[in-house]
Amino acid sequence: MERLPAFELRRASSLAEAIGWLAGTPGARAIAGGTDLVPNLRDGLGSPPVLVDLSGIAGLDALVAGDDGVRIGANVTLARLASDAALAQALPAVVQAAASIAAPGHRSVATVGGNLCVDTRCVYYNQSEWWRRSNDYCLKHGGDTCHVAPHGERCHAAYAGDLAPALIVCGARVEIAGPDGTRGIAIEDLYRDDGRAHLALGPGELVAGVVVPVQPPRARSAYRKARARGAIDFPLAGVAVRLSADAGRVASLAVGLTGTNSRPLRLAGTDAWSGRAIDEALLADLGKAVQKQVSPMRTTLTQANWRRQVAAVAAQRLVRELAEAIA
Amino acid sequence: MGKRLVSLVVNGRLREEAVGDATLLLDFLREQLGLTGTKRGCDGGECGACTVLVDDAPRLACLTLVARCEGARVETIESQSAGGRMSALQAAFHEKLGTQCGFCTPGMIMAAEALLRGDPAPDEVAIREALGGNLCRCTGYVKIIEAVQAAAGVGTPGDAPRRADATQATR
Amino acid sequence: MSLPDRRDPPPAAVGVRQPLVDGVDKVTGAARYTADLAPRDALVGAILRSPVAHATIRGIDTSRARAMPGVRAVVTGEDCAVAYGVIPIAQNEFPLARGRVRYRGEPVAAVAADDPATARAALEAIELDLEPLPAVFDAAAARAEGSVLLHDDKPGNVERAVEQTFGDVDGGFASADLVREQSFHYAEVHQAMMEPNAALAAWDAERGRLTLHSVTQVPYYVHLALARCLRLDESAIRVIKPFVGGGFGHRTETLNFEIVAALLARAAGGTVRLELTREETFLTHRGRPETDVRLKIGLAKSGAITAVEAEVVQRGGAYAGYGLVTILYAGALIHALYRVPASRYKGFRVYANTPPNGAMRGHGSVDVRHAFESLLDAMAAELGLDPFAVRRANLIEAPHRTINDLQVNSCGLAQCLDIVERRSRWRERRGRLPRGHGLGMACSHYVSGSAKPVHWTGEPHAVVNLKLDFDGGITVLTGASDIGQGSSTLLAQAAAEVLRLPMSRFTVFANDSAVTPKDNGSYSSRVSFMVGNAAIRAADELKRVLVAAAARRLEVHPDDVEWEGERCRVAGTDRELAYKEVVTEALRDTGTITAKGAWSTPPETQGGRFRGAAVGSSAGFSYAALVAEVEVDEDTGMVRVVGVWVAHDCGRAINPLSVEGQVQGSVWMGMGQALSEETQYLDGLHARANLLDYRVPTIVESPPIDTSIVEAPDPNGPFGAKEAGEGSLSAFLPALTNAIADAIGLRLDALPASPDRVLEAIVARRRAERLRRAAKPVPQGAD
Repeated sequence: MERLPAFELRRASSLAEAIGWLAGTPGARAIAGGTDLVPNLRDGLGSPPVLVDLSGIAGLDALVAGDDGVRIGANVTLARLASDAALAQALPAVVQAAASIAAPGHRSVATVGGNLCVDTRCVYYNQSEWWRRSNDYCLKHGGDTCHVAPHGERCHAAYAGDLAPALIVCGARVEIAGPDGTRGIAIEDLYRDDGRAHLALGPGELVAGVVVPVQPPRARSAYRKARARGAIDFPLAGVAVRLSADAGRVASLAVGLTGTNSRPLRLAGTDAWSGRAIDEALLADLGKAVQKQVSPMRTTLTQANWRRQVAAVAAQRLVRELAEAIA
Repeated sequence: MGKRLVSLVVNGRLREEAVGDATLLLDFLREQLGLTGTKRGCDGGECGACTVLVDDAPRLACLTLVARCEGARVETIESQSAGGRMSALQAAFHEKLGTQCGFCTPGMIMAAEALLRGDPAPDEVAIREALGGNLCRCTGYVKIIEAVQAAAGVGTPGDAPRRADATQATR
Repeated sequence: MSLPDRRDPPPAAVGVRQPLVDGVDKVTGAARYTADLAPRDALVGAILRSPVAHATIRGIDTSRARAMPGVRAVVTGEDCAVAYGVIPIAQNEFPLARGRVRYRGEPVAAVAADDPATARAALEAIELDLEPLPAVFDAAAARAEGSVLLHDDKPGNVERAVEQTFGDVDGGFASADLVREQSFHYAEVHQAMMEPNAALAAWDAERGRLTLHSVTQVPYYVHLALARCLRLDESAIRVIKPFVGGGFGHRTETLNFEIVAALLARAAGGTVRLELTREETFLTHRGRPETDVRLKIGLAKSGAITAVEAEVVQRGGAYAGYGLVTILYAGALIHALYRVPASRYKGFRVYANTPPNGAMRGHGSVDVRHAFESLLDAMAAELGLDPFAVRRANLIEAPHRTINDLQVNSCGLAQCLDIVERRSRWRERRGRLPRGHGLGMACSHYVSGSAKPVHWTGEPHAVVNLKLDFDGGITVLTGASDIGQGSSTLLAQAAAEVLRLPMSRFTVFANDSAVTPKDNGSYSSRVSFMVGNAAIRAADELKRVLVAAAARRLEVHPDDVEWEGERCRVAGTDRELAYKEVVTEALRDTGTITAKGAWSTPPETQGGRFRGAAVGSSAGFSYAALVAEVEVDEDTGMVRVVGVWVAHDCGRAINPLSVEGQVQGSVWMGMGQALSEETQYLDGLHARANLLDYRVPTIVESPPIDTSIVEAPDPNGPFGAKEAGEGSLSAFLPALTNAIADAIGLRLDALPASPDRVLEAIVARRRAERLRRAAKPVPQGAD
């Protein structure tokens, strides 16, 4: 009873071994929790000859809080992240985002690295082999047309990871391990605005962990996810906000968005609002900025315009709620 | 593709089995071990019917490669009644009609079992969160919540104790 | 298992909160469903499906597939030239397409192979030569002038047009104080029962016999279809229904994969397991059709209905199925909930290039009931009437014969209304909730079994056998399909009540055509009512035999025997016999006893004489009233159901535990359709054929459901019982939209109320209000 295409599973005992296998085997894929990869393989979305199992790599599941912040290993599960009391104090947006992902049966095994690297999604892509073939495939996999925007050149599949926007507003950096050693980049730089190749990872490169700096004093963060149901679903739009305020005025404001574009976004222009009163005018500007910068396409069966609007509403509400909490 | 030997403990019994790298735990349990209590309800990760426990945590057997379960302790619905006694959850699902067609029931009970192991007296919100990935099409979930509450002893007075006699429960 | 003490009073079985007789198997994992039964050496079946919505089949080349090692059979439309379909006068479907394919996903060929990989490879090796035809995906396009025809004998793609007028409709509207008309649109919905489709077919080549295990609600219909399509004598077929993981009407007709599995097994000369994916299960569809309703109601100032006019258009999909029944139900069940003195109904069942629809829970009644209860609610507000008051102004008093000849012999709707009004604290809270919060209510009803069977054979509508043997155990032999609704438990309770024996004496054995009496199946909420009555009659017969045996042993007249189940005595004396002694006496000379009970619906409940009158007729109608409380987020369109209060008149709750479960499940399934569930096709390609995009509500957002049982006993019902598993579904949808109207003043005319639809409606209203204000001179200081 094989429901998956055949592959060889290799269990890596070190990052170096995993990187070596990934770099040395064309088409090889890494597998951590597998909750995103396995359904995609079941749908015939790829047939990697080798799956490199990261779960046995020592230390990759470390969650360490130090003076300069928190280092979250790529193999830390979402369940662990969601139930970490200290983290809930320090990084509420991250913990709320983790707790909102899928359901307990996924979160017990799905990982931070996996959620950051989760594949982009589209109604024309997340379908069975029969379905996609009947529709002449699509630009993201096996075809040459994006059915979402047939006259365009690019794939519009939407990024739908929940952790990324929360980590973006918290100023996280990603540790990437690869054949040439380890490099650290701002988390936004992990992503590209291309639904077909949304991760800026070179051959053999892996996300090894995330480092979140100590949050500024009096900064608060939160995450809100718009979805049709109370569990299981990917975000139709997801918004993270980190706000620090002083006497009702913005000290700093960061807004992260997911589910609306092929990559998670950091809302541009919020730096200019430092010093502004947190009032209806600011919220209106915030709403307009979100509506302008997100670009949901017809990648979900829920209307794209609704995703744009709820992203704006969620951002406004989070800012209002955080401001009240700070006051 | 060749097979590999994997050793794991399923329902308290050590199993050494040859499995394919691409074999899912769901198919291993059902086809290779004959443990058909774990159900396939969707095409991957969407319904919770195949929920089992792996090292006490709820897992979807339809997304789990059995080759990655070396050394793991797997528990399925078949493990839950021992010596003719149903677990408190099983007895409560039976008595409170937390099961109708029964197809989601094994996964539902295993997800609830995972909850109660970590939180023996969950409130209603915790119950809903823990069962969020388990779809049921018959009950509207009302009696499922009542059943979990009864099993945990957090429902109304007179509900089932933590372990009930199987024959009593039948009647 | 222990039997009660001799001194115990005889147990009551009816009215007891009885856990399911097969419940232990379900909670322990011992229950075996079709996919759990395959023997290890079974071949693996797989189906090749049409990639296009409409095409002529020029050819199917299976030669490469047939030549592959490990491929044991390949079948196509060539292998079955007989059309099938649940309604004998509307059979136009083939298990594997012949000549034409009419929807994306329609089976065109199938293989049986040694393993899944070989089966998949064999499907890949089959070459389809299809010549595309134009396709139509909605009813309007299908009915348009010059549109391509799916079936050459159905001009305009109209499978069935219905026109029915009862009473003086024009006079009714003329005499009304308020007449309103509105149009509504409903998305197609699907059952999404948790168990995907599966069949296990075993061909006994030596003897030319077929055994099929399947997920069906209607093993008898499957039996007939197999005999027809495989050209086998009915006696050469055995159909077994094991545990079934829900149905909700998906499985109330023979489905293509059941016949395909049998064709493969015969072609391969062995046993074939055919397990469909969730996607394939969606493609088998058989749910509730996409529907447009135009409704007009006339009301007097008192709230009394003076006339109703409805036009209903259903997109039925590519084949007939239950279609003509569904379109007739939509009209018939406008009646029998309230007094309706005049009505005109036009219904159009339309073919389109989408998967066929079927008899989903609440068959035919749900969408029209939403339209009716919505418009009635809005009109009540215009007349200054409370929503409860307008319903009370139109109550039926049983016995009542509707103008379309439905016979209502019991109606507890008035009590249902009182209960939910009180329990929801409607009077205290309605109109006093903060903005965004609302209360809405609605009523609904349903048949307790379609009064006329699909196949008119002259047989009774239901038969139950009771087998009593040396051990004193009684086996209830029934063909009634327990698909989770608890019918096996109910039948045991009915027999136990009559015989006054404990439930532990009873075993239910169901759904093996070689053993159990034929039953028409689990649909139209017929089982409790019809088969329940048959079980009572069988138990009465067995009791007569046992009392006669006791009388022989006690040497008295049977009339002098007081029957108390575990013991009986000569009236007015201490002379007693234990049950086992009576059994021994009863079996003397005769051996094993089989007592039979049969039941048919009384002629006066079988409907009128006009064309289509049989549909909607029933021996008993259930009633429900429901209040929903919602919270609407006007910025996002998200609707949260805060609470539900429902009261359901089931005549008599034989098993109150099951009644509650059925009512809660119905209400909740109505909530799914109202809030989040819909199918959707992109050029005919099912875009929501999975459980992420087909949004069955999760436990997280599902509300508490306060459930009350009302018992207005029906003179024809078993112990007075009527149905409980469908009637309260359709009340939820209008109660929800009425609550949304109460919350934000917006009346939705399309379902589901998904957040994007709701927000779109809110935004459209704002825009309209702005335009209105702009058109008027604005007084200074305003806005």
